[in-house]
Amino acid sequence: MTSLHRSQPPIFPVNAGINIPAELFSLKNGIPLFIIDAGTEDVTRIEFVFRAGIVYETIPLVATSTNMMLSEGTMNYTAEELNSILDYYGVFLNLSAEKDTAGVTIYFLNKYIEKVLELMNEILFHPAFSERELDTMLKKRLSWYRINKQKVQNLATDNFFESVFGSNHPYGHQVKESDFEVVKSSLLREFHSRYYNPQGMTVIVSGKIHEKTITLFEHYFGELHFENNSPTDFDVPIKGSSEKKMFTEKKGALQTSVRIGSATINKRHPDYPGLKILNVILGGYFGSRLMKNIREEKGYTYGIHSSVTSLNLSGFKIISTEVGKKYTRKTAGEIYKEIRLLQTLPVPEDELEVVRNYMSGEMIRMFDGPFALAESFKSVWEFGLGNNYFLNFMDTIRTITSDEIIRLAQLYYNIDDLYEITAG
Amino acid sequence: MINFSSFSLKNGLKVIVHEDRSSPLVAMNILYDVGSKDDDPAMTGMAHLFEHLMYCGSVNIPEYDLPLQRAGGENNAFTNNDITNYYLTIPSENIETGFWLESDRMLQPDFSRNKLEIQKKVVIEEFKQRYLNQPYGDVMLLLRPNAYRVHPYRWPTIGMDTSHLESIGLKNVRNFFLSHYAPDNAILTLSGNITAEKGYNLSEKWFGPITGRVAARRQLPAEPPQTEERKLTVERNVPSHSLYKAWHIGPRLSEDFPTLDLLTDLLAGGESGRLYNRLVREKNLFTEINIYITSEIDPGLMILNGKLLKGTDMTKADIAVNELIEELKNSPVTENELEKVKNKFESSTVLSNTSILNKAMNLSFCELLGDAGLLNSEIENYRAVSSKMVTDTAGNYLNPENCTTLYYMSALKNQP
Repeated sequence: MTSLHRSQPPIFPVNAGINIPAELFSLKNGIPLFIIDAGTEDVTRIEFVFRAGIVYETIPLVATSTNMMLSEGTMNYTAEELNSILDYYGVFLNLSAEKDTAGVTIYFLNKYIEKVLELMNEILFHPAFSERELDTMLKKRLSWYRINKQKVQNLATDNFFESVFGSNHPYGHQVKESDFEVVKSSLLREFHSRYYNPQGMTVIVSGKIHEKTITLFEHYFGELHFENNSPTDFDVPIKGSSEKKMFTEKKGALQTSVRIGSATINKRHPDYPGLKILNVILGGYFGSRLMKNIREEKGYTYGIHSSVTSLNLSGFKIISTEVGKKYTRKTAGEIYKEIRLLQTLPVPEDELEVVRNYMSGEMIRMFDGPFALAESFKSVWEFGLGNNYFLNFMDTIRTITSDEIIRLAQLYYNIDDLYEITAG
Repeated sequence: MINFSSFSLKNGLKVIVHEDRSSPLVAMNILYDVGSKDDDPAMTGMAHLFEHLMYCGSVNIPEYDLPLQRAGGENNAFTNNDITNYYLTIPSENIETGFWLESDRMLQPDFSRNKLEIQKKVVIEEFKQRYLNQPYGDVMLLLRPNAYRVHPYRWPTIGMDTSHLESIGLKNVRNFFLSHYAPDNAILTLSGNITAEKGYNLSEKWFGPITGRVAARRQLPAEPPQTEERKLTVERNVPSHSLYKAWHIGPRLSEDFPTLDLLTDLLAGGESGRLYNRLVREKNLFTEINIYITSEIDPGLMILNGKLLKGTDMTKADIAVNELIEELKNSPVTENELEKVKNKFESSTVLSNTSILNKAMNLSFCELLGDAGLLNSEIENYRAVSSKMVTDTAGNYLNPENCTTLYYMSALKNQP
């Protein structure tokens, strides 16, 4: 046997085919239905999206509670019956209330589509908001809340958002234990009727699409009546705390949770793709500078990550880690050191090449399969953007220069502007 | 139906290929038949620590991640009580880079003292982050050594104690590699945009030259049947009392396995299960309650976990759970209820197969159990479960003398 020369095989350029095949249909009453027909298995994912996130609530917990109560009983079914029927038809149902949007995502086998759509009509537009079920749900949430308050990760993250966005803004507002006593069915009904409207709904359908799918949507959703109460725009200004550093003591903690970051631009800004690339270099993948330095060279932590996230009214960047208590100051120092390096020294071409290829691969993964396509579609649709966002992003991945990265690091990672929030 | 080809190399490596042209990617999964059950009882946590060391470079490749990222790939791994499983996804044109990386670290990882010491620190921080510094994080460290007296499932994958990790030296690590990381102790599965022929040729090229080492056959002590109820109580700074119960069940391949799995769904499948409806919705004793099986290859556990509503007495909660279980043993489940959990299982199986990575992992695991084709008969096996089988199986396993109960009490003052 000839011996094998174990050197790296040739690498071929990674080309992501950037195209989300989303076709828009409007139901009779105008509800937009985006259809992504792809995949090999006879399954469908449907996401029903509403502008009904936390930013629209005036009383804490109302947006999330309204969302969570959708599957706790409807006009025709008790909570127990409804959940049994959903399980009987093999439906996986995920509720979500984010900062801006809220809604329901379901996954199911196509053979049950008719029954599933009938149930979804009830869940979305005829929830019961029974006082008894609400009470059970709030007790469960209060129990989670108390557990989370014992975790250094949650303490640091909650304080981070409050510092960055201000305690008066829903993006930064922290829930207090007394808030649980205020939530009543009537508040949820009111929120529901205002924000969970047919006219405020967008539907994203992905999977193997059958001919009858649209007809069934017309039947269950096309006849819904539109009312004329458009949601009011939210106008509390975002105002971060003037105190940039905050430490919360947690007795007996073995680790300190560190959150460093600030408010920033979102997807609508032309610098956003470049900022995302900078973020990957800093702490956005396993080979990132923070991961190499703080985990792989020093062993201070199990993991350190940085991320940049878009919100409708803003965006934020955050570096997160949990470190052994004695490493807290050293870790913060190393984080600032890595940021300064990015602000002053050009990123070497081979490191940039790795990041270009890694991110191109990520792009392919974002477009692989019907469900990934649907998520990617939503992530730009939400901001009024489309395919062009991804084309531009891909172009930036291929062409960004090390000078541009220095410019972005100086502009967006000014160390004096960063909040440093710790708990432990 | 998941179609696949399978073959074995001369050195004993098993290779499975499932072609799915709808994806531009290939998922590559390497399962090593080694888990924390193979840890030395005085050095628990070794199998998992070793997983970390597999990323510290190998004989011809100083760094694992860098060339993979350069080829547009992404990877991860996990260790559990039974297996250590490494996986990556990569654009199909660069799949050979995956072969190069994985074969090199099967051939010989690079063990330097410095890298070992750093990874020990990283894993100890992981131990703190996930087990010691988390409310309820130490439950498995309490429950397992009580449920098991001799079988190595008595410790969790992370290990019994951080001192075990601290004591691991270079020589131990090398021996562990030689005993368990061999082509004849691994299953390689490729799924996605690749033909069986290409998969075979590349496997032959990169893995073929690695000498079969004949991995050590394990001999684990069998856990003797439990004959007496076991109970323990601890007090911790957590906000609510929590009840845990663990019953011994059979091995992964026992005939009862599908029935036991469906039984847990009947009891706690989401919010339509009996436990949730009775004990959370109706009686308001718990804020949440769940039950699951550990799905381990050797005889595993069925574990129940309920968080008590503030004000509920622990004994009362425990009695209510036991009553509900007695009821299951004595009155048959309805056809409708059974159909419900079978449909849900079918749905979850089909949905899981929409991902090339899941398919690669599932095929590898089924092959380890004896036949990758088991993946295609699972739904049928679950469909065959009858109401009588559920009642009988509940009667056989869910008995107090087969159970370990943990009362995890809140020491915080605001708790009644």
